[in-house]
Amino acid sequence: MKKVLLLFVMFFVCVGVSMAQKTVTGTILDSEGFPVIGANVLIKGSTVGTISDVDGSFSLNVPEGSNTLVVSYTGFGTQEIDVSGTNNVSITLAEGVTLSEAVVTALGIERSEKALGYAVQEVAAEDITRSGATNPVDALVGKASGIQVTRSSGSVGGGSRILVRGVTSMVGDNQPLIVIDGVRTNNDTQLSQASTAGTAASNRLMDLNPEDIESINVLKGAAATALYGTAGATGVILITTKKGKSGGDAFNVNLTTSYSFDNITQMANLQDEYAQGWGGAYLDPSTGLSTSWGPRIGDLEYATDPSHPNAPGASAFDADGNYIYDNNGFLVPAGTGNGTPANIYNNVEPFFQTGNQFNTSLAIEGGGETASFRLSLSNLDATGVIPNEEYDRKTVKLASTIKPTDALSIGASVNYTKSDYVRVQQGSNTSGLLLGMLRTPVSFDNANGFDPSVAFNETSTYQFDDFSQRNYRGGGGYDNPYWTVNNALGNETVDRTFGNLRTDYAFSQWANLGLNLGFDLTTDRRQQDFEINSRTAPGGRILINEFATRVFDNNLTLSGSGLLNDNFNLSYVVGANAFSYNVEEQDTDGDGLLFPGHLDINNATNITHFNDITRYRTLGFFGQVEAGINNMLYLTLSARQDYDSRLGNPNDFKLGDTGFFYPSASAAFVFSEMMDNTGPLSFGKVRLSWAQVGAGPPQPYSIVNAFVPPSIGDGWGDNISFPVSGVGGFDQSSLLGNDALTPELSTTIEAGVDLRFFNDKIGLDATVYRTNTKDAILNASLPSSTGFQNIWLNSGEMTSKGVEITLNLVPVSTSNFQWNSQINFTKSENIVNKLAPGIERLFLAGFSSAGTYLVEGNQYGAIFGGAYLREDAGTENDTDLNIPGGAVVINDDPASSEYGFQAVDPTQRAIGNPNPDFILGWNNSFTFGKLSANFLLDWREGGDLWNGTAWALSFFGRSQLTADTREEAPTPIEGVLSDGTPNDIPVTRDQSYWTSSLGGFGAVGEQFVQDGGWIRLREVGLNYRLSGNSWTKGGSIGISGRNLWFTTEYDGIDPETSLTGTGNGQGFDYFNMPSSKSVIVKLSLNF
Amino acid sequence: MKNFIKILLVGTMFLTITSCEDFIGGDVNADPNNPPDIPIVGSFPAFEVALVDVYGGAFSRFNSMLVQQVEGVARQWSSFNQYTGLTPNRFDAAWNNVYENVLNEMKIARGKAQAQNFFHYEGVIDILEAFTLMAAADVWDDMPYSEALQGFTNASPAYDSQESIYSTVLQLLDAGIAKMNGESGLVTPGSEEVFYRGNATSWVKAANAIKARALLHTGDYMGAMAAAQSAFESAADNLQFQYPDLNAAGQWYRFNRDRTGDLEFHPTMRDMMTANNDLDRLAMLDQTFNTSHPYLVADFLQELITYREVQFIIAECAFRNGNADAAHEAYLKGIEASFARIGAGGYADYVGQASIDPGAAGLTLERIMMEKYIAMYLQPENYSDYRRTNVPNLAPVSGANVPVRWDYPSTEYLFNSNAPEDGSVNVFNDRVWWNR
Repeated sequence: MKKVLLLFVMFFVCVGVSMAQKTVTGTILDSEGFPVIGANVLIKGSTVGTISDVDGSFSLNVPEGSNTLVVSYTGFGTQEIDVSGTNNVSITLAEGVTLSEAVVTALGIERSEKALGYAVQEVAAEDITRSGATNPVDALVGKASGIQVTRSSGSVGGGSRILVRGVTSMVGDNQPLIVIDGVRTNNDTQLSQASTAGTAASNRLMDLNPEDIESINVLKGAAATALYGTAGATGVILITTKKGKSGGDAFNVNLTTSYSFDNITQMANLQDEYAQGWGGAYLDPSTGLSTSWGPRIGDLEYATDPSHPNAPGASAFDADGNYIYDNNGFLVPAGTGNGTPANIYNNVEPFFQTGNQFNTSLAIEGGGETASFRLSLSNLDATGVIPNEEYDRKTVKLASTIKPTDALSIGASVNYTKSDYVRVQQGSNTSGLLLGMLRTPVSFDNANGFDPSVAFNETSTYQFDDFSQRNYRGGGGYDNPYWTVNNALGNETVDRTFGNLRTDYAFSQWANLGLNLGFDLTTDRRQQDFEINSRTAPGGRILINEFATRVFDNNLTLSGSGLLNDNFNLSYVVGANAFSYNVEEQDTDGDGLLFPGHLDINNATNITHFNDITRYRTLGFFGQVEAGINNMLYLTLSARQDYDSRLGNPNDFKLGDTGFFYPSASAAFVFSEMMDNTGPLSFGKVRLSWAQVGAGPPQPYSIVNAFVPPSIGDGWGDNISFPVSGVGGFDQSSLLGNDALTPELSTTIEAGVDLRFFNDKIGLDATVYRTNTKDAILNASLPSSTGFQNIWLNSGEMTSKGVEITLNLVPVSTSNFQWNSQINFTKSENIVNKLAPGIERLFLAGFSSAGTYLVEGNQYGAIFGGAYLREDAGTENDTDLNIPGGAVVINDDPASSEYGFQAVDPTQRAIGNPNPDFILGWNNSFTFGKLSANFLLDWREGGDLWNGTAWALSFFGRSQLTADTREEAPTPIEGVLSDGTPNDIPVTRDQSYWTSSLGGFGAVGEQFVQDGGWIRLREVGLNYRLSGNSWTKGGSIGISGRNLWFTTEYDGIDPETSLTGTGNGQGFDYFNMPSSKSVIVKLSLNF
Repeated sequence: MKNFIKILLVGTMFLTITSCEDFIGGDVNADPNNPPDIPIVGSFPAFEVALVDVYGGAFSRFNSMLVQQVEGVARQWSSFNQYTGLTPNRFDAAWNNVYENVLNEMKIARGKAQAQNFFHYEGVIDILEAFTLMAAADVWDDMPYSEALQGFTNASPAYDSQESIYSTVLQLLDAGIAKMNGESGLVTPGSEEVFYRGNATSWVKAANAIKARALLHTGDYMGAMAAAQSAFESAADNLQFQYPDLNAAGQWYRFNRDRTGDLEFHPTMRDMMTANNDLDRLAMLDQTFNTSHPYLVADFLQELITYREVQFIIAECAFRNGNADAAHEAYLKGIEASFARIGAGGYADYVGQASIDPGAAGLTLERIMMEKYIAMYLQPENYSDYRRTNVPNLAPVSGANVPVRWDYPSTEYLFNSNAPEDGSVNVFNDRVWWNR
């Protein structure tokens, strides 16, 4: 709160220094003399402005020294109006003079949009900030075609994964390169624990305050990103931050503050009819039993007398003979107890709370002819929907530019961000929040009788006086969720400074020298605590991870452009880039705490420490030349030579081994220029491009074999780390190095059209592309009888193809009402053509019953796992790893414990495809005078998720499915017997079914693959623009919602989830955290 | 202004003067944390502990479940218990550990030992490699050996027959015994050799114990007897490893900690011991499988081969060779050593029962094997004994047969073109070579 006060003090100070100003009034009319309502009027070089009202008039306070207004309205040409010496203007807007717009392309080069031979799409600042998202990645959903964003969960501080044009690399990071103000920026997600467990992790772009973003450009294809070399192969998100505008004496202050209310969305479908137990018999928590195969709750009542014949063992009572697991007493068959019927406890929804995000940004900007600056401060204070989960972010950003002479420009930008997180264990681990929560039987109250609003603060909900754990499994099994959010928390502090120093000197129109030195330094310190008696570490554990990331990116460019004659213009850029990436990870693992209550490394009895440095450097030399003929035909050629340290052999270094060269070419033909009468067509362009991109290995040190500290185990318990008993050791890495690696190469062909009709009221931009990747470097599997499990190999082949369509519509544009609509459609498909010789699949992430793999002939990241046996399995018709044809075969061996159930295919199969069929975002905004409204519908069609939560809950008898089936009349399961006749063996899918190979933890994963598609109301908002008055220059007030509604066929939590966060292995739900929906109130004022 | 151009030029020079070679080359691509090579002292503890951990881990759990000493009752382990869940991928970790973490590291260490004439180091490797190969071949039958461990040079190693693996095992043991009886070489193993710290006498005894086990499997009872008599003289000689504490806890402790409730003490064994009036040992062993189990403790003493096993080998061989007195003596020593190991009293009362000690004349092979089965609780070797002698006579948990071998791991079916066809192994019928 103190910090908020400070912010307020600062802005009053700033208001105090506001300068003298005058009030300019005016009227805006169209060419026929009708008033134009809702036109934007801005003071040039600032963000200060207003909009015209119902009679087209406006009034604006213009600071002294500012003499130009910029007036714009969709479908009309933008005009600049000189107001020096006048306080009243009348402006007539002319229709349809557009497309002189410049777009920012690779290396920040501004190019005319019509000259581009490839797809670039801009997302405006307003679309980012209006979303209410605190993570810039989340704000991009639905705003551009060709991108796919997946939020990992509703945990505050959890990261999101973004893809541009699907995946490009088989095993490397597929997220696009993030470039902020011309500098490559760290968007890493560092994991401390296994990708399927641990806590949520952030993607580092979250360190950027969305209010500081001026615009985002998405460079989609290889031709657009060619100048970035290897790193741009996965697409580029080009972020331009706000800087003070020069050219006026304006001094502006903006204060934006928002407050959000967040709640969880849908939850797993649980039964509330059957108690803890096995085989229909009730077993109490002291037995440690995990399952809910007990009697109906209605058949139980409470009893308190320890001598009751159904009383649990002595360990369930305290010294006074009181039952310790429930204040009401223990459960006995109805009619034998005290007559109080058993409670049905809801351990799920009431556990969660309303989260809040209080976000305040203050920006001060100003500038004169030769210098400008912008200083922004922000504070985000978020509490999660999960009790005790927190995310605080403070940012300071200073950007300034000086122009000592007309030729020289020096700009510097520094951003400092401090982020603090309190995180909660999730996913596949015995301390995972939902893992313990959803498995808890309805007969047990995790909150121990307390109201949920206070239960998480009550130690006695989760801990007995002797510090042992109170949970439904007698202290074993899984952490009580209240234990998890108190005794197994992760704390994380990130300090990050990034920025750049950019110097440009124009010798002439044909020679501009630019040097951009960029740096990005991040320290990420985490401490994960496990109190004594945590299920993950019963002896207690403190895990400390420190990641120090240093990224340097330096570019030197020489560029120029101009007209050679009336019909021919030319521009070029040549340059060099040096890039260095270094992450040093220090892990300290303190095991065995001496006593409870002191969660600090100093309390650990055994401390081990590891160091892990990841580093690589690249050097690139590049050039590009663009020629324009008659404003109609544009040709661009580019080339780049890269040197990548990851290809260097440290024992025998040859520069030539590390180098690779690749070219690109693109053409744009504006055919509407050569048509005399275009009719309704106001603009028409076709474009075509071809590009190659090379890439080195996804990781450094892939050339030689290394010896690594051994980690010994087999996956059923924690591994042992060396040293053991004071004896250290090393063993050879299971990943075999390869000194014969060469760069992998992708070739992309892209074609597109850009058509606009009726003075741009309709705009269609469509692109098709196809990328072939060959010699992809992947960690090909080896049989471990070779002594290794994997080898880095140039062997993969993949084809990606897709369609992107952006449709811009202005369905209504009247003098008092305007509706703008944009549809972004994305369809991409990545087929793995070839892995390595003899290798049909390659593990990415997941579990043994269902994992994501690269599978030959399948889409990238196919879900692979156990399947039912089909008739065609093992026959000639069974040619690949897909599920074969034919009916499901039923086990008809009467001696089998699975008699009458589906038989299990001994071969694992591709059982699901996590890639969506298409993604469609429909973004709408409506303006009516000062009032505006917007909504964004987000439709994701298809894309399978493996519902591991439902899979596991079926074993435990906790899912509604198991309640519905356990007492069903015996019926034959659809399928055929081994002789091919229809199955006639009636079975009931009760405990014996769901605990067999066909249920949870069984060999079959197929039955829990579900369609993870959705249609959701991603954003909806209402905004009112405030007029300027004596103490403000205007502003806005609004209310908006994020993720308020969705519909899905997925039977679980919100299918927008990713257990592995931003990693390549997508399509898993295993006790993932639920997603959240938010209502946000926002006020923005300019002074 | 001039200054500015200077700054610009300096910046330019930064990018161009620094040579590409210095910027990209040198040690940039050398892993700073993980060396490209290590001396023999670095390899030894890694593969020795890895061997202990896989033997006391996957081998102990699966084999003990198959011989019904432990019962899979929850989650994945309940489907393993029914045999249906024992799909090839369940054996991936064990196979990986054997080849990648044990045999491959031994091969690297052997190369170093040979190059530097460290004869005793090599002798230890011979003996441990023999132990590892036998343990693996006993559950997998044929397996890659002569073409194995060559990395990408031979990405699909061919399978050697179990018969040839066994002849390698015996050769390695003889070579190991010869080396340990001979010159040590310049450097002898020390604390990095976690079993005997390089003690040659202990290793010769261990080699003989392993040899006795191997010859017993192949039915050479005379040979096995001779080897056993040169083996351990007391439990202090055992080839075993003491896990230190919670931070590097024994396999069963770690399993019970993370997978509480998945495996429990088996009713078959409980009934058997109850019928024998074997209540003292039963009280120690028949406890809920969690971190409080009195026997499966964090600082578990993981045995690879023991004095009591040797005594039971002597008892069996002597019995089969017609020497009832020697058989009887060894039989009792074996039982006594078991009581000592478990820390249970009541040995005298137990063997005081005529049903347990019927005297030399009354002793049967079944009795010997029953006592060995109990004395060797959780030792993977029980599965070989069961398959050889069918003692105890177990009722299959499901179907008609108890599996007589493990399936190959999925990684072999998927990635080794010389592996048998996936699905071609019938774990219920395809007995291993020495068991045919």
